Amino acid sequence: MIKKVKKSTQDYPILGRWISWVDKPGSNQKIFYILIILCIASFGLEWTYEKHAYFEIENYKGFYAIYGFIVFSILIFIATLLRKIIKVREDFYLEKSIDSEVYPEDQIQRIDHNA
Amino acid sequence: MLDLLHQIPTAFLFFIAAFVVMVLPQGNARNIVLLGTPIIAAIQVWTLGMGEFYTIPLFGFNLELMRLDSLSRIFVLIFCLAAFLGNLFAWHIKDTIQQVSALAYAGSAIGAALSGDLIALFFYWEGTAIASVFLIWARRTEGSYWTGMRYLVIQIASGVILIAGVSLYYYDTGSITFERMELGSVATWLIFLSFGIKCAFPLLHNWLQDSYPAATITGTVILSAFTTKLAVYALARGFAGTEILIYIGTIMALFPIFFAEIENDLRRVLAYSLNNQLGFMVVGVGIGTELALNGTASHAFAHILYKALLFMSVGAVMYRTGTSKASELGGLYKTMPKTAIFCLVGAASISAFPLFSGFITKSLTLSAVAHEHYTYIWLALVFASAGVLSHSGIKIPFFTFFAHDSGKRPKEAPLHMLLAMGLTAFLCIFIGVFPDFLYSILPYDVNYEPYTMEHIAGQLQLLLFALLAFAIIYRRGLHPPEIRAVNLDTDVIYRKFMPSIFMYVSFVVSRSFSSIHKLSKLMFINFISRLNHSHGPDSSRAASWPAGAMVISIAALLGLALFVIFFS
Repeated sequence: MIKKVKKSTQDYPILGRWISWVDKPGSNQKIFYILIILCIASFGLEWTYEKHAYFEIENYKGFYAIYGFIVFSILIFIATLLRKIIKVREDFYLEKSIDSEVYPEDQIQRIDHNA
Repeated sequence: MLDLLHQIPTAFLFFIAAFVVMVLPQGNARNIVLLGTPIIAAIQVWTLGMGEFYTIPLFGFNLELMRLDSLSRIFVLIFCLAAFLGNLFAWHIKDTIQQVSALAYAGSAIGAALSGDLIALFFYWEGTAIASVFLIWARRTEGSYWTGMRYLVIQIASGVILIAGVSLYYYDTGSITFERMELGSVATWLIFLSFGIKCAFPLLHNWLQDSYPAATITGTVILSAFTTKLAVYALARGFAGTEILIYIGTIMALFPIFFAEIENDLRRVLAYSLNNQLGFMVVGVGIGTELALNGTASHAFAHILYKALLFMSVGAVMYRTGTSKASELGGLYKTMPKTAIFCLVGAASISAFPLFSGFITKSLTLSAVAHEHYTYIWLALVFASAGVLSHSGIKIPFFTFFAHDSGKRPKEAPLHMLLAMGLTAFLCIFIGVFPDFLYSILPYDVNYEPYTMEHIAGQLQLLLFALLAFAIIYRRGLHPPEIRAVNLDTDVIYRKFMPSIFMYVSFVVSRSFSSIHKLSKLMFINFISRLNHSHGPDSSRAASWPAGAMVISIAALLGLALFVIFFS
């Protein structure tokens, strides 16, 4: 069994230590600001080229940006509603499905990182 | 040597290898055969050139087993590549059933793609069904047994419908050549339906989400490559330019994104995502122009790679943690950073970020749709592209490797898995950076430049602003949480409702029957006893009967018999 204990980052592989920056306090906020800057930059790119749009709607500045933002939000909203309707317990299909089963231990190799 | 190789149909190479694998002892020799066969097959196909190379007579028909043209070649090549990568990922497997099944399955799919006629197609079509089910059963649990049975019934049904359609098609046209068909007759509708089942058309799709998560860790990687893409190939060959496919494909691209968003089992999320990607390909087939078919073929090629990569990374996590449920995972990048990076490459590829494979293939299909001025279809597909980012681009890597820390600290995936993932990730980036390689093997000449400022900026805007929406929604706690649950899909009809109705009807029928039976028995006994009472030996009537009454009755009966015989 894998021990569910938190180890210090020193135990992680080098690559893991580098990436662990994302978990540092404040990184969350920094990533969010970087994303906003990237969004603004991608929006700014609109003025660097001439559009050869197939559809009229593509000619509006920032069409993809607005469309992407809105449809993503709609998607999450509908999915949340959908879950309310179709969610059932994990053992709904009982033994005739793999949902409530444990994956056979003899087919996997659980090894703890520090083992 | 090459000449000798050219004498053997490509599918047979895999079947021979499957027998060899059965004979060889477990170990490196077996693994070399498993890895070498797809390489040899790819060399054969690459060096063979175009044409029809192998015909065998069967009951008065000529079966074309090796029709190599620009459409079949790209599918065969990617099938070989997928078989190689899948087998490399499965290097640790010591299960003969899975090894033989993987080879037979790949061989059947390749054979089907190379079939020049519908009868050979049928044989290989069923071959893929039978060979692949063992990858599910190899999990060896009760759940996988039942799931495998459901899978097999649906896959075999697809084959039965195909052969029914082929028989009628031969009756109508006198031809069994597998070429473009027009929807209109019962025959072509049946063939279309058969392809549609394997392609997971809406309402025919549930076998996909039901079975792929039930297979073994390596089995799912293999399964993800062949059956559905074979169906896409069959549609491209048989029904290119059939308008209804545009609408079917659009629905396919759209509806799974909602289910994927709330699904907890990440391998099922990927199965929904696979369904969604097939939608793009089916739309391309429906449009049917050269640009669109190039889009479909290239998308199938790139898709097999990045989907395999995603299944591999989730599989590697499962191999180390025993679960693929998002609610149980999180924070794994700490000790599985390489797997996390490969997963991110797969996620970027499927989301179609510039410089990744999805970008140069999906834009072909979208441009083809736009070129034919299907405005709403185009808008729907752009919506679906944002949906892909949501479940495959964000959900898979984020909830597995980042998000809340599950506390699990598994060791990095084994070397062979890392190699398989690394190679696949490399190919995803290579295709994205150098699209000309993939474009050069497409069915038609490509006159398309994916890396225009307009394309790049548009795609980046779409993806980055969708990411921004996710960031805001997640930070505000509005994102649907990962919880242990199952979501109903239309398969609840045949998994729950129909058995319940059947049980209810059989209960009512059996109860009614037994009541009627009891009642009639009672009435019959009552009738006999009353008859006995009035006419029996102890009845008052018996006392007045003459002794010879029986003799008279028999004589009358004999007389009647004589009368009947005389006049008949």
